[in-house]
Amino acid sequence: MTTTTNWTPRDDRQVEDAMRRGANRRELLQMVMAGGIGLAAGGAILGRAAAALADTPVKGGHLVAAGWSASTADTLDPAKASLSTDYVRCCSLYSRLTVLDQAGAVQMELADGIETPDAKVWTIKLKRGVTFHNGKTLTANDVTFSLRRHLDPQVASKVAAIAKQMTDIRALDPATVQITLTAPNADLPTILAMHHFMIVAEGTTDFSKGVGTGAFRLDRFEPGARSVMSRNEDYFKTPAPLNSFEFFAVADDSARANALLSGDVHIAANMKPAQLRLLESQPGVVLERSIAGNYTNLNMRLDMAPGDRADFVAGMRHLVNRTQIQKTVLRGICEPGNDQPVPPSSPYFNAELAAPAYDPEKAKALFNKAGMLGQAIPIVASDAAVGSIDMATIVQQAGAGIGMNFQINRVPSDGYWANYWLKAPVHFGNINPRPTPDILFSLLYASDAPWNESHYRSERFDRLLVEARGSLDNARRKQIYAEMQGMIATEAGTIIPAYISNVDALSQKVKGMRKSPLGNLEGYAFAEHVWLAA
Amino acid sequence: MTSRVPSLILGRLLIALVTLTIVSFAVFFATTLLPGDTATILLGQAATPEAVAGLRTAMHLDDPALLRFVYWIGGLFRGDLGTSYANHVPVATLISGRLANTLKLAGLTTLVSVPLALTLGITAAMWRRTLYDRIVTVATIGIISVPEFVVATLAVLVFAVYLKWLPALSFTYQVDSFAGLLRAYAMPVVTLTFVVAAQMIRMSRAAVIETLNTPYVEMALLKGASRPRLVLRHALPNALSPIANAVALSLSYLLGGVIIVETIFNYPGIAKLMVDAVSTRDLPLIQSCAMIFCFGYLILITTADIVAILSNPRLR
Amino acid sequence: MKTHSSTGTLAARSGYRINPVGVASFSVVLFWALVALVAPYITPHSVGEMIDADYFGPMRPGLWLGSDYLGRDMLSRLILGARYTVGISLAAVFIACFTGVVLGMASAVLRGPVDMVLSRLLDALNSIPSKLFGLMVVAAVGSSIPVLILTLALIYVPGAYRFSRALAVNIETMDFIMVARIRGEKLPYLIASEILPNIIGPVLADLGLRFVFIVLLLSGLSFLGLGVQPPYADWGALVRENIGGLPFAAPAVIMPSLAIATLTISVNLLIDNLPQKIRDRSAS
Repeated sequence: MTTTTNWTPRDDRQVEDAMRRGANRRELLQMVMAGGIGLAAGGAILGRAAAALADTPVKGGHLVAAGWSASTADTLDPAKASLSTDYVRCCSLYSRLTVLDQAGAVQMELADGIETPDAKVWTIKLKRGVTFHNGKTLTANDVTFSLRRHLDPQVASKVAAIAKQMTDIRALDPATVQITLTAPNADLPTILAMHHFMIVAEGTTDFSKGVGTGAFRLDRFEPGARSVMSRNEDYFKTPAPLNSFEFFAVADDSARANALLSGDVHIAANMKPAQLRLLESQPGVVLERSIAGNYTNLNMRLDMAPGDRADFVAGMRHLVNRTQIQKTVLRGICEPGNDQPVPPSSPYFNAELAAPAYDPEKAKALFNKAGMLGQAIPIVASDAAVGSIDMATIVQQAGAGIGMNFQINRVPSDGYWANYWLKAPVHFGNINPRPTPDILFSLLYASDAPWNESHYRSERFDRLLVEARGSLDNARRKQIYAEMQGMIATEAGTIIPAYISNVDALSQKVKGMRKSPLGNLEGYAFAEHVWLAA
Repeated sequence: MTSRVPSLILGRLLIALVTLTIVSFAVFFATTLLPGDTATILLGQAATPEAVAGLRTAMHLDDPALLRFVYWIGGLFRGDLGTSYANHVPVATLISGRLANTLKLAGLTTLVSVPLALTLGITAAMWRRTLYDRIVTVATIGIISVPEFVVATLAVLVFAVYLKWLPALSFTYQVDSFAGLLRAYAMPVVTLTFVVAAQMIRMSRAAVIETLNTPYVEMALLKGASRPRLVLRHALPNALSPIANAVALSLSYLLGGVIIVETIFNYPGIAKLMVDAVSTRDLPLIQSCAMIFCFGYLILITTADIVAILSNPRLR
Repeated sequence: MKTHSSTGTLAARSGYRINPVGVASFSVVLFWALVALVAPYITPHSVGEMIDADYFGPMRPGLWLGSDYLGRDMLSRLILGARYTVGISLAAVFIACFTGVVLGMASAVLRGPVDMVLSRLLDALNSIPSKLFGLMVVAAVGSSIPVLILTLALIYVPGAYRFSRALAVNIETMDFIMVARIRGEKLPYLIASEILPNIIGPVLADLGLRFVFIVLLLSGLSFLGLGVQPPYADWGALVRENIGGLPFAAPAVIMPSLAIATLTISVNLLIDNLPQKIRDRSAS
């Protein structure tokens, strides 16, 4: 890169992203100029980005990728998938009825079409001629079996709560499935695009073979260690460019980055902000930034002290220095947050909702009004919620400036979600991206939400949620969701300072990685599309 | 007096068995004391009270601890380590491959570190209070005082990232030649050698110096024996017992204590398996791993005790 | 193997000779102890304050040891870290060695069932890998400083016990112990006045090594996400949280490593070079 500017490969990718979104040359050049680069050099950058897009897939090669989370509980059962490693493997071995594209729009995968008259009864037509890795043809019975599994408590499905609404799942004929819901839900096609709703063959009990309809066949699988897969030539979509790919997890962040730098792996997923400086300085490394969606948030339970005093919660909103969190903790790899869970990439994002300004004096006045100035308040943080310890430190520092004594209670990652999250009065959470506002709201903010982090209750909110869910009128939904975002930002006890982008580090040879609102590594489904340049 | 040796050894083995029984009891109840519930953790963010209750019953988690202990110990005697809670695979299957890896790494590290450490320790004692001795001492303490993860990460940066001589991760399944073995094991073995050698160096030096202070060695010195001869012929045989103990204690670290090396080099060994098991509260797996560590430790210290018995001139 | 009978050996030639290495290492230990004592009064910045817009910043005036991964002043963090590393490790090593050595000597003197039970229990304790034991205890009881000290101490009691018992058993067979026993001396007198002076040298050497292990285990526990509460951090935790700076040779990772090395090396050299009269009471 040129030495006279602060233009980095990261910015290169932004230009490329803008081109993908269809920005014109003038807009692009403006972006480049804002980066402090002259017109001639800017042209070169655009040329480079265009070349990256124009590349055509090269067939062949063996790709090695390192994820970040693994455990002996690794599984190829999509219903039980819980770590990124599981998602990557399931996405490569199985297919879903629908998938989400880069813009978050629903595309058909195993389904040929999905129809409903009332958002309550849904008819799904399946593609014909799709075969499993063992030669068996896909039928409606495979789909009903796969979906019904989530309702069986013995399966212990991770999405049992979401699947619960599918009261009747039946095969109308070998290529048609009908799903009846307890109540109308216009989001069903999006829900079916979640990783857990991958389709397996009817009657499967042993998932260690990974027999699916996906782009790869399983060669080896060692839970907690690694998996090796090779291309499925009979794939019903375009067969993958890669001959084979190996996936394992390296839990240690710097070890993962080093494995990429030494050439042992082609992809090192999920780099920490503090590692980017090293990676950016390396010539052969490309950083791929995901669509911002997950977030680490500060939760104050509204049903117990100190969060039961509205002035305390309001004071905290002004005490959290969002800009500093975005700059120092996240190193700018994020989008500003406005205290509600729908990310800016969503079509339903309420852009008019502004985050409260950092104002320690105002916070001090509010704490004083709540009668809590000078009190010792514990904040539970853990490495389990990414960046939470650093965020807590920032809050603690800001508090020290106005006479508040926040005590950080750092607890082990091990057992955090079971023992502290949702339980401690003031604590941090970390929420992964979900495809629809409805899922986010029902999971996190409805009065009966299973993960109601701040124990927020509002009858109006619950009513709006049901209304929007059953509505097939998109403009109306957008309006309702905007109002609900406002309610969360002002009434609930959750402070969401930023939506975090994950950054995957790729070898320059890896091409064709796309983006997905479901997470980094193309929503874990990268293996099907990437190829290795010669 | 020769007849006493077999009975002493037999006694040591019996003591090891008693210890193993105590340990199995302790391990079982320690693991049941871990906070957090397997069913809740397995269901993760999807844990509803009904789901947890159902899973608890299915997994026999509601049976009294004593009953589960009896089942478990009964299974151990039949060679059945139980089934993992987390992924329903027999524990023996999960452990076998990992244990082989751990033993391989431990074996190679032993081959490198023990001769190196004993040579350094004994020679340092031989030339006690010389510059050589001082250098060995400072270097030894200096090396162990650098945290293991720094040594390992530094080694990766130098040899894998900058020089590109070795892979950053230990790909054990690519070992098909001596060069492959070297590539996969060089950095983990060197890192672990740094960690375990220090105690052996320090203790063998101390033990030899202790015996050098005894009157009969001083007698030999007065008779004009050379220093190396003095150490090797007179002091060393008497220092063998403490040295064997120090070696055993150091090597016991190689079974369960190598978690950091396993993490940084992504080496699929048994320590990482146990940490995984702790975080998923996979009790059968935790207990089996802990028993393996204990078993290994007892083999080592019993061996050391037997060496001590055999090397003791009063018993020979 | 040292006994009263070894009067007039090589060791006796040196008395309270002042040894330059001993003085130097004592000064370093004293320096860190003083830093730990006055830490809150000499830190140039608050430990949690992010004063540098950059991260892993270089050494420069005002930021004498550079900045850490969040842009905090390394010098202040290192100074306050001394409190935890020196304090916790010293407390833990003394508890561990005191308990282990007293129990070891008592076992050697009392023999029989006491010895049998203690030895088996402590062997059992020792056979659980230390990091996992630490993980279990701290996960069960939480991570407060007293718990941390006791956990670290408990992990190292069996080693100290095994070592001192082995030494004491050798002494216990000597004639002068027999004489003391016949005089009717009680257990406390036997271990404090007759056995301890004869094993103090090796026991101190063992203590020095154990100190290093404890300093490192403290950082090992930090590696597993346990330890001192933020914004404070012990030296090992400082190394760990800034390990990302290693490729840039950032002072944020090198300085705490050096601090650990100077402290542990000095403690061990100090023990090696204690005046002979303290080390080998037997030689007087």
